[in-house]
Amino acid sequence: MLQVREASVVFPASDGSDVQALDRVSLDLHKDSIVVAVGASGCGKSTLLNAVAGFLPLTEGSITLDGERIEGPGGDRGVVFQKDTLLPWASVLDNVALGLRYQGVAKRERHQQARELLGLVGLSEFGDKPPYELSGGMRQRVGIARALATDPKMLLMDEPFGALDSLTRETMQQLLARIWARTGKQVLFITHSIEEALLLGTMIVVMSPRPGRIVARFDADFVRDFANSGEIGPIVSQPRFVALREEIRALIHNPPVSKHGALQ
Amino acid sequence: MTVTADLPLDLAPAVRRRAGARPAKPLREKGTALIGFATFAALVGFWFAASHFQWASPLFLPSPAEVATQLRIVAEDGYAGGTLVTHLGSSLWRIGMALALAIVIGVPLGLAMGMNRWVRGVFSVPIDLYWGLPPLAYLPLLIIWLGIDETSKVLLLTLATFAPVCFSAQAGVRSVPAERMNAARSLGAGRLQLFSTIILPSALPEILTGLRIAIGAGLATLVAAELIAARSGVGYMIMSAANFLATDIVFVGLIVIAALAFSLSTGMRWLERRLVPWKGKI
Ligand SMILES: Nc1ncnc2c1ncn2[C@@H]1O[C@H](COP(=O)(O)OP(=O)(O)OP(=O)(O)O)[C@@H](O)[C@H]1O
Ligand SMILES: [Mg+2]
Repeated sequence: MLQVREASVVFPASDGSDVQALDRVSLDLHKDSIVVAVGASGCGKSTLLNAVAGFLPLTEGSITLDGERIEGPGGDRGVVFQKDTLLPWASVLDNVALGLRYQGVAKRERHQQARELLGLVGLSEFGDKPPYELSGGMRQRVGIARALATDPKMLLMDEPFGALDSLTRETMQQLLARIWARTGKQVLFITHSIEEALLLGTMIVVMSPRPGRIVARFDADFVRDFANSGEIGPIVSQPRFVALREEIRALIHNPPVSKHGALQ
Repeated sequence: MTVTADLPLDLAPAVRRRAGARPAKPLREKGTALIGFATFAALVGFWFAASHFQWASPLFLPSPAEVATQLRIVAEDGYAGGTLVTHLGSSLWRIGMALALAIVIGVPLGLAMGMNRWVRGVFSVPIDLYWGLPPLAYLPLLIIWLGIDETSKVLLLTLATFAPVCFSAQAGVRSVPAERMNAARSLGAGRLQLFSTIILPSALPEILTGLRIAIGAGLATLVAAELIAARSGVGYMIMSAANFLATDIVFVGLIVIAALAFSLSTGMRWLERRLVPWKGKI
């Protein structure tokens, strides 16, 4: 279980004033959950994810994974980036196998596992290609396969489908829902899209900027339905879905002005 | 592994839809070989015409035929104390040794400077300082210290080629995208693995660019140094011929140097295609 406790991050800005990107954020991620953070641009979503990934030190507070304090990046937290970070000099297969290589898994073995993962994301035929011969959506799938390869405890995804066209995006959402239903990995997912948040999250946290705070949390379970049916239409037209969507939209546009913690 | 079995995912259409999408061919890949060859032919044609119609005195502009004859003579019988091959050999040996030294010292030092603040702090000022000097300015000093034999020339060329190699390796390290490093670290890469699987390959394109610059600087310095202070080498051959107004042999020397420069840059391009075919792709 991931526990974020009173986590604050302050960036020293170039003009001397400090930016409070995260203000005493607390969050629990249980096994089997997809926590989705939504909020306006600049509300600290990426900062939260980067802190969990270990790319960014906390100014205050703590983050622990299964009781162990997070001090830096590690193989127990697989990260999928918005911009693809595949290695252009390595084949798609070697990219997926990279984490296994770091673990010292022998070449045959890691290629075997990487091939299975490429099958999982529907790219079996592309293992020998260099990543730059793949489309954006395909590369993003390679990125997911790569993050899954080392069998991390959790997946961290920062707007992974933000740059994709809407059709590819739906395919990817479906893929993620199914991978999650199958593996039960805990996922921390960041998005701008309220619909995506509701579709994928078992918990949705709404954040507001300056200072970056969690202003509301919602439980949801549309993702189970989605993982089973793979159909978006019937889900997003449910009254419950629509009502939640509008509630979150209102929260994002008019974040409640409140003392810290009042809403938590 | 928990994620193994195949899921009944219907991704095939998306894959097929996307498979045809390729990036546009970058500008640099469009061929210029034919245009280049035509220009070359035109230049040679102009030379033929200029000497045939005696636009300049043969003393200043020998005919291509004459130069070709001299080329054969110099190759077979030699000039200024050595055949063409021995002159070319000493030039190549000097620049080859210098480049090897520059790479062996410059690449690791540049990489270290890119990764470590202390190494960067200590070395960047002295390298910046001497790199600002034209190499020929400190050649006399090297000759005083080391004598006029090969050591001073190899050291001169090493110094001339070392800085671009070193700086490019440093720039290569600094240009590694932070996300790429973070991605590798969250896949569990240790420090050594980060270096060998991320930093070094990411820096390779810049290192090769630096090597190209170094070769250019090295050739210029090589020939100039041989003109001033040498007993062999293509530059020395040119200078000896010039002293006797043997313009045709000067031309032979120039052609040999041009050919050498051309093959080196062709070799570098080949090396880049082999080593970093992905350059500029992502
Ligand atoms: N390296 C940095 N230095 C200074 N300020 C930063 C830095 N990174 C982020 N910030 C500031 O912290 C705040 C939160 O940034 P963050 O990237 O977490 O937002 P976000 O919610 O991910 O936004 P977006 O949806 O646009 O990606 C912003 O106000 C931003 O200006
Ligand atoms: Mg962000």
